[in-house]
Amino acid sequence: MADLKILAVDDSPTMRRIIVNTLKRAGFNEVIEAGDGKDALAKLKAEDINFIITDWNMPEMDGLTLVSNIRGSEEYKKLPILMVTTRSVKDDIVEALKAGVNNYIVKPFTPDTLKEKINEILNA
Amino acid sequence: MVNESLQDKIKNEVVVLASSLKDIVDKFNKLQHPIVESHEKVPQATQQLDKISDQTEAATQKMLDTIEAITEREQDVLEGLKGIVDSDINDTIKSEVNKLTEKVEANVNDAYSIMDALQFQDITSQQMDHAASLLEDIEEKLNNIIVVMDGGQEAKEPTKKKVRAYDPHADVYDKKTNQDEIDSLFKQ
Repeated sequence: MADLKILAVDDSPTMRRIIVNTLKRAGFNEVIEAGDGKDALAKLKAEDINFIITDWNMPEMDGLTLVSNIRGSEEYKKLPILMVTTRSVKDDIVEALKAGVNNYIVKPFTPDTLKEKINEILNA
Repeated sequence: MVNESLQDKIKNEVVVLASSLKDIVDKFNKLQHPIVESHEKVPQATQQLDKISDQTEAATQKMLDTIEAITEREQDVLEGLKGIVDSDINDTIKSEVNKLTEKVEANVNDAYSIMDALQFQDITSQQMDHAASLLEDIEEKLNNIIVVMDGGQEAKEPTKKKVRAYDPHADVYDKKTNQDEIDSLFKQ
């Protein structure tokens, strides 16, 4: 936990702030923010990120495209990715699974669920 | 005689036809005003929806500022109370301090619950983006009708559209798939 640097990607400043606060309460103190997929890729190159939490619906580059880009990259393809989104239709969840997300939470989320899913991914 | 009768019939039919066409043109012209008016009002409605999103975002950020300030102060209080409990005090005072600690911790948890509930703002913002996007479609269709009515000329400069990224099914309460079902999909 001490070495984990998380990238939180969401176009909503409110949601980013809530995610950052929730992560800090759970003991994850190093959190970088990005406003969309394009910004996330730039932050990946600039920072030593080892976990990604991403929304789906974002301008410029959506979360699914971001995930596909990461999984297609030799350098970042093994990064753990947790999708946190309002999309709750089963077909969407399956699409995210196929794109390569490690786990998936539907908003609004509880802090316990966020912490649980992060730990599940880390311990997998 | 027969030709005159046929000519009269044709003349009468043409008069009726001309009268019907005039009715149609009159009705068509009457439609134009409400269509143009609707076309002008739709972007106003879209702007109002965007304003609601922006203002609830700003208000939510202020609430988050306050919640963070409260929880930070309460953490300081908890540290202070812990310091008192760890010092050389009698059991009665220790018990009272522990009760106070429980209340402060409850305050912190309640403050964080409010923070968690503020996720609604992202979800309702997406719902408004969806509504605005539907209005923008209507505006475009009305614009196309006006272009036809005006004989091919553009009605006016089309409103610059905001880039929107939203889930059309975003809902605070209605989740189509629960977390257990999601977990079982990922375990397969």
